[in-house]
Amino acid sequence: MSDRTITENIIKALADYLRRNPESIKPDHHLRDDLGLDSMAVIELLYKIEEAFDIQIPDEDLVRLSTVAAVCEYVEHRLAPAKRPVARSRTAKSRKKKK
Amino acid sequence: MPGQVVVTGLGIISPIGIGVSEFWKAALAGHSGVSTITSFDPFPMDGYRSKVAGQVRGFSPERYLDSVQAERVDRYAQFALVAAKEALADSGLHMAREDPRRVGVIVGAGMGGMVMGEREITQLYQHQRPHRVHPNFIPVITLNSASGIVAMAHGAKGPNYTVSTACSSSAHALGQAMQCIKEGRADVVITVGADASITPLVFAGFCSLRALSTKYNDQPERASRPFDRLRDGFVMGEGAGALVLESSVHAKKRRARIYAEVAGYAATSEAYHMVIPREDGEEIATTMRLAIADAGLTPANIDYINAHATSTTIGDAVETKALRQVFRTRADKLAINATKSLVGHTLGAAGAIGGIATVLAIHTGQIHPTANYEEPDPACALRGLSSSVQERKVKAALLNAFGFGSNNAAVVIKRYAA
Repeated sequence: MSDRTITENIIKALADYLRRNPESIKPDHHLRDDLGLDSMAVIELLYKIEEAFDIQIPDEDLVRLSTVAAVCEYVEHRLAPAKRPVARSRTAKSRKKKK
Repeated sequence: MPGQVVVTGLGIISPIGIGVSEFWKAALAGHSGVSTITSFDPFPMDGYRSKVAGQVRGFSPERYLDSVQAERVDRYAQFALVAAKEALADSGLHMAREDPRRVGVIVGAGMGGMVMGEREITQLYQHQRPHRVHPNFIPVITLNSASGIVAMAHGAKGPNYTVSTACSSSAHALGQAMQCIKEGRADVVITVGADASITPLVFAGFCSLRALSTKYNDQPERASRPFDRLRDGFVMGEGAGALVLESSVHAKKRRARIYAEVAGYAATSEAYHMVIPREDGEEIATTMRLAIADAGLTPANIDYINAHATSTTIGDAVETKALRQVFRTRADKLAINATKSLVGHTLGAAGAIGGIATVLAIHTGQIHPTANYEEPDPACALRGLSSSVQERKVKAALLNAFGFGSNNAAVVIKRYAA
């Protein structure tokens, strides 16, 4: 899956969740301040993203997933651990183990 | 006239001890009852983000209950039965000498009979044999099974009901019991909080809510750390607490030992969010003020807080804000502790177990440590928190409890004066 497709899919998931036009959602949008997601809504969104990309997001990673771009970059890192440095080696390891 | 409402008996099942003396000894030592969940037989813990809980170890119902009684109810109601039995014995109340219609039972339970609930649902979906659903399934999962069985065990025919408001259930039960006696509807109310739902589905649900601690899976005893800077979520617990509440007139007539007085109660809703508290803490502050006023006191009279303090990042900080709003500069003069640091979050039992810790603090002059309070968090900086025992002559205390569904409870418990 290309990085562009990942971004598109995440924006689509967000648009579905928020029931708004995907084009109105920009990468620099802050999930809480711009899109109005409270902490529970972020958890619900990540639950959908975990399913869509077959990943598990550890609790300690949640804190940095504050903007649309941050979520997209995070998922890209998680799906391509070999290509880029991954912030948390433990999550990469657990993913390998799963496969 | 019923007079005041007093506490005359205590009973407890907790991850740090079965029975009040074992519990209190461990509480004063600051022992953590949190350990690794070894397995949710038949499947392993690998898929769970959190792997620790405050489980009650070594509880064999047949040791305390006759087999028929024990078999007909779920683990949480077994806890309730045993805790109520201890509390009644401790109170010295003889049901044979009481008018049974003047003895009520009010239970707080958040989750109810989930052990059997999950088992039966799993079996039905796996084998699709509806005729094999256990005949006791409905009475067991009905949320008032504990209040029913406790009344049956003791022949208590007075008001009998269950309060279910998630994590604040048994704080509300305490308040309701106080009101029930004040209104003259009962002389005695056996008040219980109970929950035992560290089960595969419920535990997974709390993991998915991202509410549980996940950083201390390798050091379970450090996981529940209310107000500490390194806290990262609550730890599920299980247990039951029972308090015999009665009118002071009734207690004096039978020359009962009086531990403390339950003097005030407030119940409010934030009408805000299912799981998130209002971050400014104003609703919690209002709840505390109302309870203090209900007791006929002012914030200046309160000297100890048994905090709700679940060890979540937001929750503890919001409670601290609320305490500052109510007590202002006096907030640093209050003794404060978090019983959940010892036993985890026992959900529906939390108010009753915190209530017992509060009653014992008033009765003994000792405030149990807040385990794992090592590094103060600027967002929760309160001078009255300590990882050691605090000796304090407590005149009046406040018990806080907040629950999902945007509800808050506060109960004032004070030294009894005739």
